[in-house]
Amino acid sequence: MLNRRPLSYYLLSTFFAAFLLFLYGPMICVYLLSFQGPEGGMSFPMRGFSLVWFETLFSAQGRGVGDLHNSFFRSIRLGLIVALLTMLIGVAAGMSFRRKYPGSNFVFYSAIASMVVPGIFVGFGISLTLRLLGLRPDWWYSGIGAQLTWSLPFAMLIMFIILGRLDKSYEEAATDLGASSAQRFQYVILPLILPGVIGIIMAGFTSSYEESARAGLNIGTGNTMPMELTGLLGAATTPVMFAVGTLTTLFMFSIVIATLLVSGSIAKRRQLRLTAH
Amino acid sequence: MMSPRAASWLQATPFAIIMTGLVIVPLAMIFAVSFMDYGFAEIIPEFYLGNWTDIFRSDLAVATYATVLRQAFIVWGVTLLLGFTIAYYLIYHVRSNFWRAIFLAACAIPFWTSGPIRMISWVPLLGREGLVNQALMGLNLIDEPISWLLYSEFSVIVVYINMLTMAMVGPIANSMAKISPAVVQAARDQGATEWQVITEVIIPLIKPGIAVGTIFIVTAVMGDGFLVRAMSGNQVNTPAVAIMNEINAFQFPPAAAKSVVLLVVVMAFVGVLLRLVDIRKELAR
Amino acid sequence: MSENKSKGLSRRSFIKGAAATAGAAMGSGAITGFPTIWAQASKDITITHVGSIYTTNPTVAEQANKDLGFTIQMQTLDNTTLINRLLTQPETVDVADFGNTSMGYFKNKGILMPIPVSEYKYWDQTVPLFTQGTYPDGNPYSMQGYAPIKSQFWVDQSAQEYSLTPTDWLVGIPVMYNADTLGVRPDLVPRPVTSWKELFSSDFAGKVALQDGVGVGVPDAAVALEAAGLMTYGDKGNMTREEIDKTIEILIVMKRDGHFRSFWTNFDQSVQLMASGEVVLQSMFAPAVTEVRTRGINCQYLPLEEGSRGWYIFQSAMAHLDGGDKLRRDCVMEYMNWCNSGFNGVYFSRQGFYSSVPDVIKPLMTENDFGYWYEGKPATAEIIDPFGKVMEQAGAVRDGGSLWDRMGNVGIWNTLMDEDRYLVRRWQDFMAA
Repeated sequence: MLNRRPLSYYLLSTFFAAFLLFLYGPMICVYLLSFQGPEGGMSFPMRGFSLVWFETLFSAQGRGVGDLHNSFFRSIRLGLIVALLTMLIGVAAGMSFRRKYPGSNFVFYSAIASMVVPGIFVGFGISLTLRLLGLRPDWWYSGIGAQLTWSLPFAMLIMFIILGRLDKSYEEAATDLGASSAQRFQYVILPLILPGVIGIIMAGFTSSYEESARAGLNIGTGNTMPMELTGLLGAATTPVMFAVGTLTTLFMFSIVIATLLVSGSIAKRRQLRLTAH
Repeated sequence: MMSPRAASWLQATPFAIIMTGLVIVPLAMIFAVSFMDYGFAEIIPEFYLGNWTDIFRSDLAVATYATVLRQAFIVWGVTLLLGFTIAYYLIYHVRSNFWRAIFLAACAIPFWTSGPIRMISWVPLLGREGLVNQALMGLNLIDEPISWLLYSEFSVIVVYINMLTMAMVGPIANSMAKISPAVVQAARDQGATEWQVITEVIIPLIKPGIAVGTIFIVTAVMGDGFLVRAMSGNQVNTPAVAIMNEINAFQFPPAAAKSVVLLVVVMAFVGVLLRLVDIRKELAR
Repeated sequence: MSENKSKGLSRRSFIKGAAATAGAAMGSGAITGFPTIWAQASKDITITHVGSIYTTNPTVAEQANKDLGFTIQMQTLDNTTLINRLLTQPETVDVADFGNTSMGYFKNKGILMPIPVSEYKYWDQTVPLFTQGTYPDGNPYSMQGYAPIKSQFWVDQSAQEYSLTPTDWLVGIPVMYNADTLGVRPDLVPRPVTSWKELFSSDFAGKVALQDGVGVGVPDAAVALEAAGLMTYGDKGNMTREEIDKTIEILIVMKRDGHFRSFWTNFDQSVQLMASGEVVLQSMFAPAVTEVRTRGINCQYLPLEEGSRGWYIFQSAMAHLDGGDKLRRDCVMEYMNWCNSGFNGVYFSRQGFYSSVPDVIKPLMTENDFGYWYEGKPATAEIIDPFGKVMEQAGAVRDGGSLWDRMGNVGIWNTLMDEDRYLVRRWQDFMAA
């Protein structure tokens, strides 16, 4: 192990820092402008510095708030369910691709097709089909279903990547030791692909939370966050939107920290268990 | 005991059912609708080839595809360079797992903010009174605000790069992590410089990652209409935007025909890519 | 807002009995206001109302739920999703709001319920724009575009064709309307602007914007082109193919010359463009001008020679109500009546929109507010919007003056053209240029 870092390390670190700045560019505007004064608008200059927009958001009354509270909870609820289903269905499907079987091409390409076709069309196609069948769209089947068409292809591709990384020798060792396929999955494969699975859950949740084209016509009555935000854009938006952005960032940030701490302590305990032998 | 093949079928079944029911069936409907005539926000179920002849006879298809392919190419090139560099940094230069996780989380957090909010936040950044222009003027690099930072093809591409670079970083980083450190060490022992290690060891081995990342980028750029409309001030037309325009005008049959063409083009591209780099062979050893 | 599903069907017999009692009481004139005697019987009914951000909002929903015995559930949607929902899932909606740019979609579709004039309490107090097709002085207004009278009445109860003359069947109840013109930044534009033709003046190259739709942006461009003498039209709100071709060609040339800064899609974008000075002259909605001003930036609404561009919003009920549960239909009618009974009208009037029944809301507004918003009088005190934000100081006069100053010179109405199909294609070409 080198003790001195090569020049490339410093160059690349600077590069990465610059990239983070680029990535956060618009977010910085969001954070700054969420503290906009009461007279201020959606862009610079800042007219005063205040917490008034956060207050407006929490009081749920006032300009630019619409029905954000309810739509937020709807989005969270929908996102969690979609994340869970994406994980279960996506992991299973990804596992299936480890062998060639008739129909695997079809499954693969239909997933790609789902990613490519504009969401509005999938959404519209689904709502048309429901209408022909005489069914009324509702969030718990057509809303979730429509969103799954978006999240599952990502899950599939993520599974491809992480399974490709999996070293088969571990599984072979387990089989040699007499493990059944269920045990093989539980004790060997799952721990190894766990980061990827967590990635799929995250991807499932994020894609659902962001998505409005497919869900829009199939969610029944009751807007999700992106639908509500889009509706709000039809009138004067206020920095309440930016306050929403800042708060969701803080919220996600704390979840990420919490997850890291938890998984860090799990890993540490696993280390202790292993070395204890 | 279940045969392996039956097990595969069972695992894939829920996925297959959802894809078939909620994707294939709507796509079939879209295909059917593309051959129909239309009136005021209604589809007239009579056979009508006009939508298809319009596409092949007008210049619109050429113009929109030229635009989007150009955008996709530029975005792909830049995100590939950026993505590779960042992935390389995170895998080979960041030694602590903890910091790697923090950096990755930092890259992911902006994506937790809702789409509409992110779209409108580009205006205070790139606008005439925005942060970038103010910074440039403050550094005395320009006298007057630059107007083409926003509402132009430039802003479209910049925003694509901002949003899609991580989609390249992910697959490439995963491919890199798959390379056994012994291989890299062996190259080092033989006297290879860092650059040589990159070009002759790493790049050839991460082709699957690059391929997956490319699929993400290309499908995202070609399938998107919202970003282009918002960031170009509705002055740039791509196939996806054209489709959206027609859907917003409730003219579904021509939108359907354009969607089929778009789908075929992208699928063809993905198919070619997968023939060059067979990802699935990597799995089904 | 609660999400109770209607339990009406399972208690049908009980409710039928209650409705009969209610009907008897109504006939006896016992009912004067809200809530009505139906409160007990109708409390399990939930009415779904979809609309835009201005017509559906929590404040009004809360008041409606207080005043009425049944539950109102509102959903705010962007216009395209809203119309799509009405066209493909009309059974999921009871009441919907939409404007002139969408009226053309509802002909011959059987989606909307014909509303008998007799069931709308405030018809006689509705401004003649809607009831007669004229201004209050009796003069007819411009018929360019989708003028109100073109889609206010059904020919008959079958609700298929629109009638140009008053009948007993309403397509929708008029709720709000206004007239848009060009907004300007007088601090950035040194000389007075009095005509639409200035939109294409080279003085403003690169600093001009239009709305990106064919229902508003194209008519605006047409008015400007005609004013500039570059084109002549039969009906700018309903162009022929040749007119469309020529218009688009001119626009493409101007676009390539870099004349347009941007085309805005939503309200907020138009405000941004003006407030930041990216644009100095643009077609915009009236409240957008007000919004720019509340940010301390001077923005004016210009009375122009060729007149303004008028728009209105109707509130309609869905056809499925006619064949279904009568109590639900009655609740819908009561709700729609409530929407024009005062609270709602005052709420959006204070944001700059005009109510179709100004006489009804006048007693409910302060003299200062009504004087400023409707009569063009100088404000006697601060003008405050429903959220507590100060819009104007004492002494300020509303841009353009009184209601009929502003609405009395409509040159063209928002529209949906017969050649919409062709227009959209050509508009695509324009965007790709």
